[in-house]
Amino acid sequence: MPREIITIQAGQCGNSIGSQFWQQLCLEHGISQDGNLEDFATEGGDRKDVFFYQSDDTRYIPRAILLDLEPRVIHGIQTGPYKNIYNPENFHVPKDGGGAGNIWALGFNAGENVYEEVMEMLDREADGSDSLEAFMLLHSIAGGTGSGLGSFLLEKLNDRFPKKLIQTYSVFPDMANGGEVVVQPYNSLLALRRLTQNADSVVVLDNGALTRIAADRLHVQEPSLTQTNQLVSTVMCASTTTLRYPGYMHNDLVGIIASLIPTPRCHFLMTSYTPFTSDSVNQGKTVRKTTVLDVMRRLLQPKNRMVSAMPTKQSCYISILNIIQGEADPTDVHKSLLRIRERKLATFIPWGPASIQVALTKKSPYIPMSHRVSGLMLANHTSVATLFERLLKQYNILRKRGAFLEQYKKVSPFTDSLDEFDESKAVVQDLIAEYKAAEQKDYLSPEDMGEGHA
Amino acid sequence: MPSTRNNRIDEGLSKLIEYILPELEDEDEDEDLKANALELAQGMIDSHVALAYADDPAHIANIIKTKCVWKLIRDNRTSDKALRFHNLYSRLLTLPLIKKKGAILHLLHELSEEPERNTASRASERPSTAVIDSRAPSRAETESTRRPSKATTVRDEEEFDASVPPKPFLAPERGDGKTGEPTKAALLAGINPPLDPSEVTLLKDMPFTLQGVSSKNLTFFPENTLKLPSNLPVPLISLLHTLAEPALLYRSLSAFVEESDAIEDKGGLVGQSLSAAIGNELKAYLSLVAGLEGEIRRATLSLAEDDPHGLAVRKVGVTLRRCMIWTREATMGLRLMAAIVGESKGKRGGQLISIIHGFSTSHGDPFVFNFAKRLLTSVTRPFYDLLRRWVYDGELTDPYLEFYVIEQSEEAIMEANAERRGYASSVWQDKYKLDTEMIPTIMTPEFANKVFLIGKSLNFIRYGCEDSEWVEKYSKTTSKALSHDDYASLEQNIDEAYKITMERLMYLMNKKFNLFEHLCALKKFLLLGQGDFIALLMESLSSNLDRPANTLYRHNLTAQLEHAIRGSNAQFESQEVLRRLDARMLELSHGEIGWDVFTLEYKIDPPVDVIVTTYGSREYLKVFNFLWRIKRVEFALGSAWKKYMTGARGVLASVADKVGNDWKVARCCIAEMIHFVAQLQYYILFQVIEPSWEKLKATMEKPGVTLDDLIDAHKAYLNSITRKGLLGGGSTNSKSRQPETSFLAQLHEILKNMLAYKDAMDGLYSCSVAEFTRRQATSALIDARTAAGKWGVTESDTNTPYEFGQQVKKHSLRHKKVDIISDSDSDSDSDSDDGDLPGIRQRLKTLTIEFQARTAVLLGDLANQSDTDMRFLGVMFSFNDFYVVKKGKGKTVVERRTAQRGDETPA
Repeated sequence: MPREIITIQAGQCGNSIGSQFWQQLCLEHGISQDGNLEDFATEGGDRKDVFFYQSDDTRYIPRAILLDLEPRVIHGIQTGPYKNIYNPENFHVPKDGGGAGNIWALGFNAGENVYEEVMEMLDREADGSDSLEAFMLLHSIAGGTGSGLGSFLLEKLNDRFPKKLIQTYSVFPDMANGGEVVVQPYNSLLALRRLTQNADSVVVLDNGALTRIAADRLHVQEPSLTQTNQLVSTVMCASTTTLRYPGYMHNDLVGIIASLIPTPRCHFLMTSYTPFTSDSVNQGKTVRKTTVLDVMRRLLQPKNRMVSAMPTKQSCYISILNIIQGEADPTDVHKSLLRIRERKLATFIPWGPASIQVALTKKSPYIPMSHRVSGLMLANHTSVATLFERLLKQYNILRKRGAFLEQYKKVSPFTDSLDEFDESKAVVQDLIAEYKAAEQKDYLSPEDMGEGHA
Repeated sequence: MPSTRNNRIDEGLSKLIEYILPELEDEDEDEDLKANALELAQGMIDSHVALAYADDPAHIANIIKTKCVWKLIRDNRTSDKALRFHNLYSRLLTLPLIKKKGAILHLLHELSEEPERNTASRASERPSTAVIDSRAPSRAETESTRRPSKATTVRDEEEFDASVPPKPFLAPERGDGKTGEPTKAALLAGINPPLDPSEVTLLKDMPFTLQGVSSKNLTFFPENTLKLPSNLPVPLISLLHTLAEPALLYRSLSAFVEESDAIEDKGGLVGQSLSAAIGNELKAYLSLVAGLEGEIRRATLSLAEDDPHGLAVRKVGVTLRRCMIWTREATMGLRLMAAIVGESKGKRGGQLISIIHGFSTSHGDPFVFNFAKRLLTSVTRPFYDLLRRWVYDGELTDPYLEFYVIEQSEEAIMEANAERRGYASSVWQDKYKLDTEMIPTIMTPEFANKVFLIGKSLNFIRYGCEDSEWVEKYSKTTSKALSHDDYASLEQNIDEAYKITMERLMYLMNKKFNLFEHLCALKKFLLLGQGDFIALLMESLSSNLDRPANTLYRHNLTAQLEHAIRGSNAQFESQEVLRRLDARMLELSHGEIGWDVFTLEYKIDPPVDVIVTTYGSREYLKVFNFLWRIKRVEFALGSAWKKYMTGARGVLASVADKVGNDWKVARCCIAEMIHFVAQLQYYILFQVIEPSWEKLKATMEKPGVTLDDLIDAHKAYLNSITRKGLLGGGSTNSKSRQPETSFLAQLHEILKNMLAYKDAMDGLYSCSVAEFTRRQATSALIDARTAAGKWGVTESDTNTPYEFGQQVKKHSLRHKKVDIISDSDSDSDSDSDDGDLPGIRQRLKTLTIEFQARTAVLLGDLANQSDTDMRFLGVMFSFNDFYVVKKGKGKTVVERRTAQRGDETPA
């Protein structure tokens, strides 16, 4: 009875990173391309059933639901090397396959049509789990399907499974360089509202930062989509290692994020990962010498963050969890923590105790690693709000011009009014304000208390 | 100053004469005699005053040497006597005290030639001239060359000794000392009455005396005394004294041998072999005496019976003095043995060997050294037999308790247990004991310990591990006779045996008894290393354990345990491990709930219980209970967090206007608690368990590790976990610390506090859900009325809230939204209304304050810890310096960085 997690992949981006994620998981657990265990995979100690279940013929099948409104990426998965591991019943692509045309509203509305089918899949998967703990949504928020359909699903999951955790890996658009989709501020804002209200934990991945890291760390001018996807899947795998290799602590999702997210709204997590090598990413740099201190220090460097946030002077960490994989000596961790503290490499919230938590986990024995130690940082940092601020700014510019609204007005909930936009904007503004407040000493101020008592 | 010198000579002479000549009854006659004698003596000295070459010792030495060489050629003897003479001569030259070295040499030379001259010219007065002169130097010389180690029963031995010239080439023919001095004897013969009994008679009696048998003149008394005839001259008595020594020693020794033969079991095997060895030595002595007797008989036969003065004896060459010389060496041996016997009283085995060994190593006299060594070889034989059995068979066959390994009796083991207040003993620890007093000095303590370990291991392999087959095979193939003769090879053999045995024992422990697997299992299950298993167990047990302890049934527990094993990675553990795992309840006392009494147990069988002792198991349980408690709090906080988190998406969001801030504050407090628990767990895992485990593992992997090393390592492992992990021992600075404020107790209080807080928060949750339900119902009612064309809210609703509430409740039942409020405890929610909210708020506030106060105290104490790891825990709790530790005068104050103005004062 593990704490199962059901993965929902929505849209092109979601499915791309999803397929990469499953491929990586199969490698780490020694599962072959047809779902059977490899002969060498006898070491045990890992827990495959968090993400997989076993069919009657003992094949391992991902607890994954693959949704898209246009067939290209899903088709790619269905013909790819790992086509056989998925449950064929868990694919959904509409017959017409027109896609959402990068319009959030179209994706959101398409949800109504697929609702019954998707819920059936979810129910079936949930029934197949002994102790379902969480849903994991993989999507991007810039386009139509991942953003719109994803938002729809978040709302529905909320109603349908009110007691289950909902975690998302959300790819935010590259806001510095405009991006491919002109209406991405609209889509992102609308999706962000659902992420704020209907998810418990959002791992923010920013396309801009991903490209930058890929270019910087991997020394490629224009990293391929596969390479950035590999970055994401690496992060996903790393953040789930404690679930898959049970140890003393952090054996379930609650255990991981409970300490990261003190208040419900501030649940947007940033990640850093180091080092990216050719083991995890194609043409990755070869890093030989990594020490725990190196890893822990690098994880705190803004350039390694997978979010292009602009920290201000007040920005601070609400919490940090470092997942260190490999041969890490506890005493090294200990020393590193003291050094980080001494040098004040990390600023924390002023209104409560906070620290760098460290989880040491095993590494998959089946994948050779060229470096000793690698680390992932999951951090709740207030500077993530600057990302939202930028998004809001872009939205405001677009909205002021009233540009590109026709496509939205055609379908609900915009047929009557554009209130949805305004409501979403208000939610995001509140979110930003909450993060700002969390930077202040008087976050738990008595004035508010007074109101509460009144 | 010739005059003073002359005076001194005169004085010396008169004293000497007085000493030599017996007192006569007639005073005049006496004086005359003495005067004559003095005159004679002076004449002797004067006649010899001018000696041509007296001042040239080299010349005399040369003469002696030439003579010596000549004698060598004649007697065809080895040259070491010449060498010895040379040594003695050079020593004599270096003596600053003696002035007339040439004269002394001359005297000695003369004396040596005396016997030959005896027959040639009796009239020569020369030999006796230097009697007085020679006394002092020769004594000095004797003292510097040899001092017998043992005081003897004969009183005047020392004086007598001095009169024996050390020059060995004089012996044996130079039998005569001052009493045998011919001229004097002739003189005395004229004056003295014949001796009664005569020397010849005494001589005849001597063999008997030497064998400890009484004779007519020399009778033994029971208490080791020899009665000498009373009327003998002093010199003769002194001779007899000397001769009495071996006789008396022989008597006591043979008594000892007989005695130890009679009481066989008392001396033990080593004692027996000692008495046997002494018996052998006595036999050798007897044969010497027999030889002597033969000589005496041969000599006395040729003597005329009527020689009253026994002067003729000298001609034959057997005198009492000669007897004494012959028995000299034997006497030394007897003395030594007597000393050994004397010291060995009440000593057994190893101690006995130690005594003898003491003589053979620490004694400078080569005679003593060799003698003791000879004795040692035979005495240690039974000891080495014991040793062999022990080292190659692992058996202790020591009926007389002589070995330095002692097998403990059952009672002694029980007693040892009792002493340790019920801490279990083990076969390994307590069956055999090392008695350091019994370790013979022939082996070093390390060596003895090695031997001890070998035998213990073999015994343990045979009985503990039931692998006697191997032991037998081993003993057959490797068994070697051990003896004292070749210590180097003995050491080598033991080392080899040590290596083989230890390897085998480790092999058995690791392979046959899966020691490592068990230790891993203990770590996984009792130290909660297998997180998924523990989480599952806790989840499935939590509803059971919330109930009172007396409603728990063991079969429920074991069923849940089974379930948790099957559902987690624990299922991949071997059956061997899983069948040892058990869930049970501790002894319950009244009013406890399941959480307090539940425990996991991992059963350890012999022989692994040598390492994981019962005491160790108990320590494991202690640690388990503590970790389990922390885990439970983590679990409770986690699930609460999940409830509130998912709740925030739905129910709680819609009532945020009313209780939003309560939630915010409460969540932050719970976040603080979660942080606290997370840090505590991190500390226990990575600062306590893992490093200790690494150390243990390193020890286990070390080549040549012994079982004792393992036991120690495991003990240290457990110790550091219980000490640091339970925040136990560590010396706290404040001496006045009460036991109830120990870290463990503090932590328990804090954890309890957390659980209480969680319960209070559940109340808040229920309250919020109730509020939510009420609102839902209201809006539903309004909807319904509006749909029916009435006013949404009528006056009666606001006027009679109670009725309205009732209506709402009914309504809500109809429109039950299971999805949203499907929480199991929401059934009671409808009863709780606004009235509870202030109470809950108050409770949350008090609990928060209490928690913060306790945390502050704990942090203050941690900051004062001497243990760096524990201080580090304090640092981790306050990584962002949220808590500020202020060290004041003898008191440490911890403050939260944000002075919470409103918080501190009750609302």
